[in-house]
Amino acid sequence: MQRKRAKGKAASPAVATVVVMRLYISGNAPNSVRAIANLDAICKEYLKDGYKLEIVDVFEQPARALAEGVIVTPSLAKVSPSPAVKVVGNLSDKGNVLLALGIEGRAG
Amino acid sequence: MDVTAEFEDLILRLIKGPAERQAIESGQIDAILDPATGRAILLPEAQLALRVDQARDRSLVKLSSDWQWEKDTQYRFVSCEGASTGSSGFADKSIIGKRLWDLPFDNMNDVQWQALRRELTRRAAYRDLELRSRDRAGNVHCFSISGEPVFNEDGEFKGYRGTAREIPGLQVADATSPGSVEIARATLDALTVRICALDSAGTIILANKAWGAFTATKQCIGVGIPEGTNYLAACDSAGGNTRANGVALAAGIRRVIAGKCELFRYEYGCNSPTGERYVCAFTVTALRRNHTVRAVISHAKTFTRKYAEHPLGRDHEDADRVPIVNAVLAAMTRREYQRLAIDLEPIRLNFGEVLYELGDTIQYIYFPSDCLVSLLTEVEGRMALEVGLVGSEGMVGTPLALGIGTSSIRALVQGPGRALRMEAARFQTAFRQSPSLQRALYRYTHLLMAQFTQTAACNRFHSVEARLARWLLMTHDRVSSDQFHLTHEFLADMLGVRRVGVTNAASELRKRKLIDYTRGDITILDRKGLAAASCGCYRIVKDLFDTLKLR
Repeated sequence: MQRKRAKGKAASPAVATVVVMRLYISGNAPNSVRAIANLDAICKEYLKDGYKLEIVDVFEQPARALAEGVIVTPSLAKVSPSPAVKVVGNLSDKGNVLLALGIEGRAG
Repeated sequence: MDVTAEFEDLILRLIKGPAERQAIESGQIDAILDPATGRAILLPEAQLALRVDQARDRSLVKLSSDWQWEKDTQYRFVSCEGASTGSSGFADKSIIGKRLWDLPFDNMNDVQWQALRRELTRRAAYRDLELRSRDRAGNVHCFSISGEPVFNEDGEFKGYRGTAREIPGLQVADATSPGSVEIARATLDALTVRICALDSAGTIILANKAWGAFTATKQCIGVGIPEGTNYLAACDSAGGNTRANGVALAAGIRRVIAGKCELFRYEYGCNSPTGERYVCAFTVTALRRNHTVRAVISHAKTFTRKYAEHPLGRDHEDADRVPIVNAVLAAMTRREYQRLAIDLEPIRLNFGEVLYELGDTIQYIYFPSDCLVSLLTEVEGRMALEVGLVGSEGMVGTPLALGIGTSSIRALVQGPGRALRMEAARFQTAFRQSPSLQRALYRYTHLLMAQFTQTAACNRFHSVEARLARWLLMTHDRVSSDQFHLTHEFLADMLGVRRVGVTNAASELRKRKLIDYTRGDITILDRKGLAAASCGCYRIVKDLFDTLKLR
């Protein structure tokens, strides 16, 4: 996590650009539903329109999820700007998510 | 998190990173992807949560549908639960083990079934598939069926599950109670309006008794043609005067069948072979949720409706609307008057207007409302003499009632006002068809003849003064006012005397304070005295009118 944070800081000027993310979930399972809600709240608060989010249901596209290195759901992958970062769990730790997305500077 | 040994093994094998392990331990993970099988495996807690969810879904589904069913991977029914599996033909136990296309639904052809099977192979969900069947009692049932594919946790296709409900519709309303097909049919048959139902090609697949019993005329396009014939073809082949109507009607029906409009109305006025005038009204209604019937046509022939619209329409556009005050019209039966009224045209007649000259062909007949028409005869082409007076008690154009088309007198508007007029040809037809009009006009003609004869005698034997008094009384009877405008010259013409004669007679009456006049405006001051001054001829004719009512 330390490494990720460092990279995130380096990427912070790029926050103005669009953040592309993928959220891997498993149907209507409880943590998946929670993760969507948590991420939605974070995006609305910090990213406004500056993001693109794709939600991938591993029941529908298991092969794709595996190919993209997903091991557990829910998990969030930041695709761009680089570096690619991954967060697992239901995204209830907001600080952790913001760090991963490289926007922790705005959190304060 | 209570992870069973089986899952512990899985986690140990697959989860390498500390972040994932930590997330699993804190219960934030739903599923683990197994690269060996390529499937997602739900953790026990998520499985439990989903089961609770599904149970809740199912109870909601129960509320909104009649049946819930499940099919295996070969699309065979393995279960069907729900409402009573009585006679409705869908949900009885006999469907278990069968595919949808094995069941006796009669509204799907092979091509449609093939299309559905392709969708199922794609594991597509389907919504509101409408199927129709007949139960053993012959009642028609329509079902709306929805389904979605079921996968297990491993993402493996396990079959389909879904809901079904019976659609209450026109044809299906009868499904709940046996015998109501007959009731619906009997209701349709009891209606005097002609009704038929068309399929998508425009073929009549159902028609009520009134439709079948109707003897088609050229005007009522295609009405009465039997079940199984194409109605659109009948419209297209309409010829003669009705060609335009046939084309318009067919276009409207095609729009309804194609689903471009819900309702199409078309009406036009026409004449029956016997000369009656009526309105042909077609109403075409779309039927959406039925695979066979696409449009329902009703046809009505109305006389009364146009009549109802007639005075209403006039109300707005014509302040001079004529109230029904004419005694001849009032003597008619209501029904016959309504037919006649279609062709009555309100008109305002002006002073001095000549309705017919001697020997003219009668174009119109007139029913005065509050105007006054003098009937004059001429001697040697110049001397005029009034022989009769027509007001709201009668009709101008009586020769037509006797079968004569030319006028033997001159009809001159003497008191301006309102009247209803009617074309001579239409009047003759109406007269033939209306016994009450015949009775009224025969009586009126008799009274008019009495007036003629009495006037003839009066003109020969009585003084100008007495005749003037009589004439003023007759006029007074026919206008609602005590005052009317008449010049001495005009009066001289009426009475067949010189102007001086009229002036003398009028001064005499004025001297006796019976009337007053200034510049042609005559005022009746003493009606009783005037009656006493007139000859007996007035009384004779008046009594005749009073005793011999037109009705």
